[in-house]
Amino acid sequence: MAKAKGYPEALETKLRDRALHADDSNPQFTKTVEEISRTIPHMCFQCGTCTSSCPSAPRSSYRIRKFVRRVVLGLENEALTDPDLWLCTTCYSCTDRCPRDIAPTDTIMAMRNLAFKRDIIPINFLKTVQAIYKSGHGVPNNDVNRAARVKLGLTADPPTTHMYPEYIKGIQKIIDHYKLKENADRIIKEAEG
Amino acid sequence: MVEKKTKKETSAKKETKKAAAAATSQAASPAASPAAPQKQAKVGVFICHCGTNIAGSIDIKAVQEYAATLPNVAHVDNYQYQCSTPGQKKIEDAIKEKGLTGIVVAACSPRLHEPTFRTATKEGGLNPFRFEMANIREQNAWVHMHDREGATSKAKDAVRIAVAKASLLQDLFPKAVKVEKTAMVVGAGVAGMQAALDLANAGIKTYLIEKSPTIGGRMSQLDKTFPTLDCSQCILTPKMVDVGRAPNINLMTYTEVDSVEGFIGNFDITLRKKARGVLTPKEAEAKGIVGGGCNGCGDCEGVCPVVQPNPFEMGMKPRKAIYIYHPQVVPLIYTIDFESCIKCGLCVTSCGDKKAIDLEMKDEFEKVKVGTAILAVGFDLFPIEKKEEWGYKKFDNVVTSLEFERLICASGPTGGHLVRPSDGVTPKKVAFVLCAGSRDNTGVGKPYCSRFCCMYSLKHAHQIIEKIPGVIPYIFYMDIRSFGKAYEEFYYRIQDEGAKFIRGRVSHILENPETKNLTVFADDTLLDRPVQIDFDMVVLAAAVQPSEDTNRTRKLFGVSCSMDGWLLEAHPKLNPCGTTTAGVFLAGVCQGPKDIPDTVASAEGAASAASIPIHKGEVELEPYFAQCMEEKCAGCGLCVNLCPYTALALVEKEGRKVMQVTEAKCKGCGTCGGFCPGGAIWMQHFATPQIMAQIDAFLLGGEQ
Repeated sequence: MAKAKGYPEALETKLRDRALHADDSNPQFTKTVEEISRTIPHMCFQCGTCTSSCPSAPRSSYRIRKFVRRVVLGLENEALTDPDLWLCTTCYSCTDRCPRDIAPTDTIMAMRNLAFKRDIIPINFLKTVQAIYKSGHGVPNNDVNRAARVKLGLTADPPTTHMYPEYIKGIQKIIDHYKLKENADRIIKEAEG
Repeated sequence: MVEKKTKKETSAKKETKKAAAAATSQAASPAASPAAPQKQAKVGVFICHCGTNIAGSIDIKAVQEYAATLPNVAHVDNYQYQCSTPGQKKIEDAIKEKGLTGIVVAACSPRLHEPTFRTATKEGGLNPFRFEMANIREQNAWVHMHDREGATSKAKDAVRIAVAKASLLQDLFPKAVKVEKTAMVVGAGVAGMQAALDLANAGIKTYLIEKSPTIGGRMSQLDKTFPTLDCSQCILTPKMVDVGRAPNINLMTYTEVDSVEGFIGNFDITLRKKARGVLTPKEAEAKGIVGGGCNGCGDCEGVCPVVQPNPFEMGMKPRKAIYIYHPQVVPLIYTIDFESCIKCGLCVTSCGDKKAIDLEMKDEFEKVKVGTAILAVGFDLFPIEKKEEWGYKKFDNVVTSLEFERLICASGPTGGHLVRPSDGVTPKKVAFVLCAGSRDNTGVGKPYCSRFCCMYSLKHAHQIIEKIPGVIPYIFYMDIRSFGKAYEEFYYRIQDEGAKFIRGRVSHILENPETKNLTVFADDTLLDRPVQIDFDMVVLAAAVQPSEDTNRTRKLFGVSCSMDGWLLEAHPKLNPCGTTTAGVFLAGVCQGPKDIPDTVASAEGAASAASIPIHKGEVELEPYFAQCMEEKCAGCGLCVNLCPYTALALVEKEGRKVMQVTEAKCKGCGTCGGFCPGGAIWMQHFATPQIMAQIDAFLLGGEQ
């Protein structure tokens, strides 16, 4: 009888040790996230108000409550390598409703910063960086928009860097200061070859 | 020593004044000690290890060696537990052997063991007020746990300061005052009723004051009680009747406390009897109307044209401008709501010969004297509409738990048939939202646990399962706190009956504007999935908060409150019914959220505590009174107006005006002593030379 495909690897994966061990946790991670986010995730009592407020949660596997839990337990690798980290829309509904007055959104932002320091970031975020560097906009104006704006009696381009491209330089200076563009270019190159 | 014990209070006072005069003239020099005429101060210093509580962070030996070098110190010692019997014996023996005149114990807070060591000082043959405590535990060892050097140096400072004061301490004699054999209970909910009944049964005449027209409080609004499912009214009304009949209880409903003067044993309390517009049979008789007064027939209510919402029914049932809350009120006397009464006079006509109605009635004031008082002023629901995400007052079918109680109660507005307020239809799916406004640190809700919502929500689930076939109750919870006797078993039972439990806090509720159904959003944190479920009705287990009048009442009685507004007990564990004002006690929820068993227990505790001074007949006041040094007093009278306790007065003596202190009223706050422009007020036990000596000892490091 032929072995099932992927056997016994599938079984081993299934039966691997999932328990939380003391050395999985990095207490410094909790402190760092609190410092960057300037909020108090350690006060979370896991009521789920955040996840239940989240527009992303019903349509994805993103669970803000789980991320806050990981911060509390110092599960740095688990938090930073989970692609769900990038599914927060930063709508701040959770922050509005959290009964313990935590700002869960800000902890997500802190973790995204920490992840980026380790080159963990989806390519589309980096492309946004490139777009902002080039045009001052994450989502630059396009012909469809221009037409719509004119139809509404607005200028074709909004009064931003689109209308005043001379200010793009300033934006680039800020981005360069943080080496954001440089890193974005590098990571994209490494990923796409 | 014998000589001191037999000394009469008056002579002691005279001596104090003489000494005080001498003392203030050359502040803080050892020669100015009031004890100076007797002999040089000899202070004994005792340092407590308190196991490792103190010895763990402070070098006891170093402190003891240092203490031995201080001026006036004649004896030093240390002990593992100074408060133990051998520890106290050390103090007694040293007083006898070394002829000490003052005792310093460096240990814990005086709140804990000052009485212990005063007793030891007295047993050794000294006046108990010749004792001074240096707190080197709470204010030192515990807060400087990881700084042994710093803590030791601070302990030396504390001992030096205490020795400076102990060198100047004087004999003081507590004053005994008689206690009025009458008590007052403010608030006639279940706590106030129980406290009043206990006091009355113990033979104490008790005034029971209630601001509403009837007694019974919140408990009379409930349908059933957990976990036994007793009908709330059925177990409460016998008590209400007892209260109404008890010969020792003077029940005054529709009455408020207007002002409070005096002190333990002798409170003078002014009551405002709000104009109720209706005479009781007694009041009618006093006015010469024979056989008249309200007998509760209700004829007036029948003819009254004014319709108002009934607050007892949470506004869900109408009442007239002349009303009773419900058929079982005690006393059964109607009340006129003068805010809405149009004075048409129909009720007066219908009342006829009973002549019970007086549309021109005015508030009356009555003064009573009581020995002790119990506050049992209860709670209100937190206005849960402030948490906008749950839509209370915006969505018809979102109700509070207290509204639910009335809707499920057979005597309520719907005769016990639970219906949706929007359309009167029986709900088939009901959500119970726990921790609605409790455990909330946003500043909008309440940070504390309201403590009884878990259990009554379980009871609510049971009630609808019992009454509505096919209904499914959903309980949205964070934790089920079933802490009481037979509570966990009740939780088990309700789960077995089919209630669905979802561990997740409700983030928000949306209403379908057409069907008026509600969508509840939560995270099933155990499943790790967000849930959105449609319901016919949502019940919010709203947080509780101190009742509206609590703050005003507590200020009248000089009782503190904690940050959340609940009245502050003297000690959360060891004196939960007492307050920092002697003679005033707390019962029930006004001290913090309690279920009915705990409320009744606390009421019995308060009644017991409040009866002690009354049964003793007199109380001892700590002798920290202000004293007037008449030779220095200019009679300006500035202090008289400053005194917060009206303890001071100007009197004629030897042809001039001087201030006189009513010692029983004086609390020793020091306001007058600090202000007196002539330095003519001597604050016993906190006298200027004593305090100056302490400050000098601290600042000069022991060098005089």
